[in-house]
Amino acid sequence: MAHPSAEERPLQLRLHPARFDPLSALADWQRNLTAGGAEAPAAEAHFIGRVRGRTAHGAALEALELEHYPGMTETQIERIAAAISRRHGLLAVRVDHRVGRVLPGEAIVLVAVAADRRGPAQRGGQELLEALKHDAPFWKREWCGGVGTWVEGNTAF
Amino acid sequence: MVRLFASLREQAGWWERSLAITPDYPSPTPASLWPHLGLGAAIPPQVRVAVNQAFAALDQPLQSGDEVAFLPPISGG
Repeated sequence: MAHPSAEERPLQLRLHPARFDPLSALADWQRNLTAGGAEAPAAEAHFIGRVRGRTAHGAALEALELEHYPGMTETQIERIAAAISRRHGLLAVRVDHRVGRVLPGEAIVLVAVAADRRGPAQRGGQELLEALKHDAPFWKREWCGGVGTWVEGNTAF
Repeated sequence: MVRLFASLREQAGWWERSLAITPDYPSPTPASLWPHLGLGAAIPPQVRVAVNQAFAALDQPLQSGDEVAFLPPISGG
């Protein structure tokens, strides 16, 4: 069976207000990709991001708080995923992102992309993750010693 | 409707405000709203603007019913 294009098999996007298991999310996406007997894509690239236990200044982190812009965040991720899918010829995209209070060690983001070759899969997945970090409206606040500090910008690549 | 997020909301002390387009303020843009709402002299370079939930230029003419948002530096993923 031929692979549907990303337009026919749209982005799967989940914003989680509570802890999520990225491996279960990935399994759910992969089941969906092969539903109805479809052949599994030849290449997939996955990224799981977890909250580190230290603040940007090296202090022990209590929690990370993630604010988003309901409506625009989802729409913007859809726009980003559609543009990157077209550019790299991706077959499918899955994005899971936490919102609310996230504890050290918990998953904050899952990005998974499927393609016919490893190059487009890896390049498309990396580009999607960087675009999420810079162009999808999320804001992090680090909680440390009961004090919250907004994070301005992203950690080093 | 004007909305503020994260650090901007906390600095301003409000998160959402309705504003009418009136004869004494007939052609608002995001750039002119910023001082009009007492947020400062000019939009700082690191602040981005969205109109109706899409990124927009600072000088985009605004229509009645538009939703304008001022977004501090994004830190997702």
